[in-house]
Amino acid sequence: MTAVVKVGSRRPARRGRLLPWLLIAPLVAFIAALSFYPTVATTVQAFFRVSPLDPPTRFNGLGNFRALFANSAVTASWVNTLGYAVVGVVASTALGVAGAVVLRRRFRFRGIVLALVILPWALPAVDEAVIWNWMYDPNYGVVNSLLHSAHLIGGYHVYLGLDRWLTVVLIEIVQVWQMAPLSILIILAALQSISSDLYEAAEVDGASAWRSFRAVTLPLIRPAIAVAAVQSLVLSFNVFDQVYVMNGNAPLGSSLMLQTYLITFQNLDFGGGYALSLMVTLATVLLSAAVIALIYRRPVAT
Amino acid sequence: MTVSVTSQPSSALAGRRPDLPRGRLSRTGRRGVRVFGRTISLVVILVWSLFPLYWALNTSLTTLSSAESRPAHLVPSPVNIANYQQLFGVSGSQSGFANQFGRSLLNAVIESGGAMVLTIVIAVLGAYAFARMQFLFKRTIFISVLATLMLPAYATLIPLYRIMSSLGLVNTYLAVILVYTSGFLPLATWLLYNYFSSIPRSLEEAAFVDGASWLRTLTSIVIPVALPGIAAAAIITFLLGWAQFLFPLVLTSDLSSQPVTVIVAALNGQRIVPFTLLMACGVVTAAVPGIVAIALNRFIISGVTSGAVK
Repeated sequence: MTAVVKVGSRRPARRGRLLPWLLIAPLVAFIAALSFYPTVATTVQAFFRVSPLDPPTRFNGLGNFRALFANSAVTASWVNTLGYAVVGVVASTALGVAGAVVLRRRFRFRGIVLALVILPWALPAVDEAVIWNWMYDPNYGVVNSLLHSAHLIGGYHVYLGLDRWLTVVLIEIVQVWQMAPLSILIILAALQSISSDLYEAAEVDGASAWRSFRAVTLPLIRPAIAVAAVQSLVLSFNVFDQVYVMNGNAPLGSSLMLQTYLITFQNLDFGGGYALSLMVTLATVLLSAAVIALIYRRPVAT
Repeated sequence: MTVSVTSQPSSALAGRRPDLPRGRLSRTGRRGVRVFGRTISLVVILVWSLFPLYWALNTSLTTLSSAESRPAHLVPSPVNIANYQQLFGVSGSQSGFANQFGRSLLNAVIESGGAMVLTIVIAVLGAYAFARMQFLFKRTIFISVLATLMLPAYATLIPLYRIMSSLGLVNTYLAVILVYTSGFLPLATWLLYNYFSSIPRSLEEAAFVDGASWLRTLTSIVIPVALPGIAAAAIITFLLGWAQFLFPLVLTSDLSSQPVTVIVAALNGQRIVPFTLLMACGVVTAAVPGIVAIALNRFIISGVTSGAVK
């Protein structure tokens, strides 16, 4: 660890001590100015009345928060966002475990299959939402066409914008499609680090595949499942792009991020936007901690 | 922790442990059931992952009347490339549209490319200092930088808009690049820190003994050795930049800086662009990150998993 400093001391000592500071200076400047300062500003301004069309800014106590709780569109979007988060975490974690189990073994073309499986993760969410929106289309969508051809529905249906929970679930499926590859990769990495000796021991003991999964695999990949679940939780709590494209401004399927955007940049109530941002940031942190505690600390059940 | 992506011929058999005969099915019967089950699950995963993309391609390659048929044609019939000709301005009917779409693609390349270059340069310097040097408050600063990974967009969106607005940078490439960079730096620094830490010090020490400066050591020894890690960080940063929507939606207001995601969302919202042309836009927008992701998936897999799991 000291080698760099010592050899560097051929030069004036001050230079050697300054060097690491020079190297991290741009990084620290960026993070301080464009991450720390904005976070502090959000926290402070949440308690101020901030409106660019109606200056000056003045202290508002809990006024912004009170207005938010009285706003039915915001209240509805809290409930919707909880729905997005529950569907998102459960579905992408389940798909993550299932996908990782399927992709764990080596087989021919495994590299290509992995590359194709992570493809939805790499593409813009807006793009994906536009594509799925077309698939859900009430008049010509392929979802209608396939369900109708399979005689599962009698006629073509409208899927988005009529029923609240159907809309939330169908939009969240689009986000799950994008998030699940990340969960698969995280859990796959954990699976591959498990020694095959453990499986052989379980097999010799006569354990069924399901039992060896429950008793051997699951406890060992629990930390990875926690990481994947928290990733999905944070992403689905932040859901915006898919809702913007597929739900628009309608309160029916609105998410908290969309409400924050509308309050701030359409109603130009910056104070309200700050207050909502602060509440959602805190909620995200608390929920992440809860998910980690639930999955990570729970005693191993066999 | 990395995911191995090597695929060897016949490895499906090599990895198999001897089956213990038990149950009603014979050994070959059970193996058959297992191979069948595994094949089915692979097909399901691939269809789930690829069908929406295939569907966009299918729609983009046909005529509007064919796309609006009931039941839907599962393959393009007739095949029609007019949507793509229109998109790239080959057929003149909507050349304004082609110009708009082309410009937004260029904006996205400049913004995500610019953010990638800036992020990697800053993160390489910072991560090298964190991995190799000792200084006061190193641990505190490092953890503070990484902690911003946990910050949701909520925490910074409005102030970032106001900062850029007060600097007169709204609707410029610079605003978008600066905001992307601040968002991508923690992940890039973390990935590069891990990579630098995994490189043995002996190479650098030898160079220092030979009298090379830190800059020369960094550029001629550390960076070449760390190239796979730097590539992973660069590719992930580029993909993240290309996919951005909310921040550019707020920070840009016209074609001088709006990236393609903002334009695609606007075209979708206007409901005047036919679905066939819209899907062609979607396919082209997805092609850039799609090709990057498939061609360079090894880097992405190693980067994503080391970033998430370590």
